[in-house]
Amino acid sequence: MNVPPEHIIVISPIGDLEDTSLLNQISREINRIFTHPTEIVPLLKDVNFALDPVRNQYHSTSILEKLERLSPINTMKVVGITMVDLFIPILTHVYGEAQLGGKACIVSTHRLKEGLSLMGSRHIYHNRITKEVIHELGHTFNLRHCPDHFCIMHYCRTVKDVDGKSDQLCRYCKTLLEDEMKRPAKK
Amino acid sequence: MGNTKILVVDDELIIRKSLADWLERDGHKVETAVSGEEALERCKDTRFDILLVDIKMEGMSGLDVLKQIKESDPDVDVVMITAYGSISTAIEAMKNGAYDYLLKPFDPNELGVLIEKIIDHQAQARENLYLKELYKDRTRFESMIGQSRPMQVVFDLIEDIAPTDSTVLITGETGTGKGLTAKAIHTKSPRCEGPFVVVNCGAIPEHLMESELFGHQKWAFTDAKETKKGRLELAHGGTLFLDEIGEISMRMQIDLLRVLEDHVFYRVGGTQPIEVDFRVIAAVNRDLDKEIKEGRFREDLYYRLNVISFQMPPLRERKEDIPLLVDHFLRRFSQETNKPIDNISREAMDEMMLYEWPGNVRELGNAIERAVVVGKGRKILFEDLPIFRSEYLTPASNNSLNEAEKTHISRILNENQWNISKSAEILGIDRSTLYSKIKRHKIPKPA
Repeated sequence: MNVPPEHIIVISPIGDLEDTSLLNQISREINRIFTHPTEIVPLLKDVNFALDPVRNQYHSTSILEKLERLSPINTMKVVGITMVDLFIPILTHVYGEAQLGGKACIVSTHRLKEGLSLMGSRHIYHNRITKEVIHELGHTFNLRHCPDHFCIMHYCRTVKDVDGKSDQLCRYCKTLLEDEMKRPAKK
Repeated sequence: MGNTKILVVDDELIIRKSLADWLERDGHKVETAVSGEEALERCKDTRFDILLVDIKMEGMSGLDVLKQIKESDPDVDVVMITAYGSISTAIEAMKNGAYDYLLKPFDPNELGVLIEKIIDHQAQARENLYLKELYKDRTRFESMIGQSRPMQVVFDLIEDIAPTDSTVLITGETGTGKGLTAKAIHTKSPRCEGPFVVVNCGAIPEHLMESELFGHQKWAFTDAKETKKGRLELAHGGTLFLDEIGEISMRMQIDLLRVLEDHVFYRVGGTQPIEVDFRVIAAVNRDLDKEIKEGRFREDLYYRLNVISFQMPPLRERKEDIPLLVDHFLRRFSQETNKPIDNISREAMDEMMLYEWPGNVRELGNAIERAVVVGKGRKILFEDLPIFRSEYLTPASNNSLNEAEKTHISRILNENQWNISKSAEILGIDRSTLYSKIKRHKIPKPA
């Protein structure tokens, strides 16, 4: 297939994250929501460069910058997925971070396991990660947090909220995404 | 989640940046300042709704920033950011009017909940103010007054436009009578027997707007104990007046466009389509072209609204109407206050004719009301009109329009110790307009 330049959304698992079924699910969902092809490209072996030894957490903003720099030439957006706990300096933790209207975003699976047993809840865990990936990617398409509790762009305070929201954009966010998608074409 | 303007004040770049990025994802407009001094400068140029201020900074402390901000604009909500060691200072800040304080690093939920709480409380205050104004306007203006050429043009336009069913967009400065004009169009239209429903897009909190416009079914959300008709439904058969349309959120713009196109909508939580038939009149005092360019207003909605548009003339461009308006207001307020004041001195009238009235007819009405209340005799004297009494005001005839406006605004600000809300009320303009005028005229705040 001939894909025009800068149209690929890169999914970049970081470290030991090698769950193929999860990555395939994420890929499918990205394709469904954003209608762009995806590629799975591990760009970072680890994120030790972003470790804050005092907090024992990883600074998400510096990981984003690196992901953006390392992304292949035809990358439209890049989403990193890591198992480590992320933070930004003013907050205790974040589930993920995105460059609003930019290229890169990242999701941490660290706190998404909360309340799940190891057995039997794999699909819930995968759904949580997938929803958060779509959510952070939405930010890179300039979407803001949505007040609709069922919209995937709703900001979730707890993992319970993540479980409660749907895997869809509400009609407002859908329209705003369509507007955003049309923007480069207009230029 | 809206267009709240937030200023983050912290001397650490990394804190400023991370906080700003986080808040922007919630849809807020965020600016940052590296010091207390810069924050105060920024506040002269822009009116922020919320300030997040670090207590310990190089130079001016967060506490000093709080005190100065609260002095010039008590309606701004300030949240102090503090480390564990300085909780006592945070408590002192609360005593000095801070809304709350956050211990850093803070939980993202804590920040989100606090910002939402402040937005709700500010929206409530705005709505109350609008309802008060609406009540005042309803009781004060029963008709439009003017013999000047610009007003004759407006009257002719109303006559021409009223019988059609076209959407109308009225532009113009605050206080020029956009709402009255909309009402006049409705009154003269074939829909005059139907309702005239007003929606002030700037006064209804964003999270209530959907339910206000579209109504809701019982139990559509936790507080929806009864089914409620929205304003779109209430406007059926009549006219829907969308005041301050430039303030409407991007989300509501999407819905509104759809209703204007199809005339069909659903109540929140409803599954039954509701067909409505109303005429739309919208008013705006902002430059919508600029809003479109900056991505804050949908172009498709603008074209849908801008079928017929015209601008209301400011009072300074129709000064020959001032005596008529003065006479009207005099009669009204003397009746309301039961005071036999029925005349105005030559000197007072001359000054009124020279003055530029930045707050337009609303400001004139406020000035006469005040003069009637304080007046002792049967005649309004120059001394009863405090807007002209200051030593700051040199005769406007020697000044340009700009200079006269600057002098007047400076004087009102100084007389009211730079209390922005109070000064804006006296001037008959809203606070954001006052801020932009302070900025434009570079009016210095006394030390």
